[in-house]
Amino acid sequence: MLGVGEKFPSFSLTATVSTEKDPKAAFKTITDLDYSGKWKVYFFWPKDFTFVCPTEITGFAKLNKQFKDRDAQILGGSIDSEWVHHAWRTYHADLKDLPFPMLSDIKRDLCEQLGILDPQGGVAQRATFIVDPEGIIRFVYVTDGAVGRNPDEVLRVLDALQTDELCPCNWKKGEATLQIA
Amino acid sequence: MTLEELMETVPAYARDLKLNFSTLTQQPELTSQQIWGTIVASAVASRSRDLTQAVVAEAAGHLSPQALEAAKGAAAIMGMNNVYYRFQHLTSNQNYRNMPARLRMNIIRSHGIDAADFELWCAAVSAINGCSACVDSHEKVVREKGLSEDAVLAAMRLASVVHALAVVFDAERVGAAQAVSA
Repeated sequence: MLGVGEKFPSFSLTATVSTEKDPKAAFKTITDLDYSGKWKVYFFWPKDFTFVCPTEITGFAKLNKQFKDRDAQILGGSIDSEWVHHAWRTYHADLKDLPFPMLSDIKRDLCEQLGILDPQGGVAQRATFIVDPEGIIRFVYVTDGAVGRNPDEVLRVLDALQTDELCPCNWKKGEATLQIA
Repeated sequence: MTLEELMETVPAYARDLKLNFSTLTQQPELTSQQIWGTIVASAVASRSRDLTQAVVAEAAGHLSPQALEAAKGAAAIMGMNNVYYRFQHLTSNQNYRNMPARLRMNIIRSHGIDAADFELWCAAVSAINGCSACVDSHEKVVREKGLSEDAVLAAMRLASVVHALAVVFDAERVGAAQAVSA
């Protein structure tokens, strides 16, 4: 599995962005180069239409504004096709108005590069990555089987990653000049 | 009310401040952006609603929208840092200096205008808010970024007078309110 400090892989995937009937409105190609300048929170789940996943996904959705305030774009994903995502969102009340895209890693290419394909099941593990605007992974969080993630914890970590003591007021005597970019 | 109109309401006992202010806006040691950013940041930090409204309206004619935002941002973030680091400076317990602040202050990096000017405004606000650690460190940074001592002092004059004017306008507002209810 890729770890902190490594570059998030490049990818180009179809994503489901709405429950519109028109495929041109419902689907969009998303690549690693989109959302330039933003932090990214990628989180993967094993399979659509299962039980734990929707509670996690809605957990992230509830915090979407908080992530946006921190210049972060949430991107969910699984190895299901964009049509399966579409069907799931259409028929599951809590997922209808999801404010972020669901990536379809149908060739399992991205998950393979990330190293999160479950060796037994062949689907994505419950993995979350925080990626900074330079494309570097800064946080990896994976849970087994049916244990859901805590989106609040992901937000807490993002916040901590973004919190730098930039004020020279905290200089201790004898420290070198603070370089402010 | 425009800033000019507001200044006309300065009472006789504060005539010095009114005259100081009009002179200080012309100081050659500072650029127009530095002058007006200092005035905005100082007004915000001094908390007179009347003065802040008039100053911000006037400054919009001298500052780019980004610089105006940055000046308010300097007052905002120093409103936080001046208390936090003043605590660290005031307490004799040095352990706090080694503990993480866990306070976001990204605007110090992301304000988007000249770093020296932003730091100058932070220094001015720190002088108003009375954090000696902040005044000391921001003064150093400002001079490392190329501003002269003359420029720093010019900004401090402005900060002092703007603060005093805020005091006066708030005093007069209270007086006016009492007169109305009497």
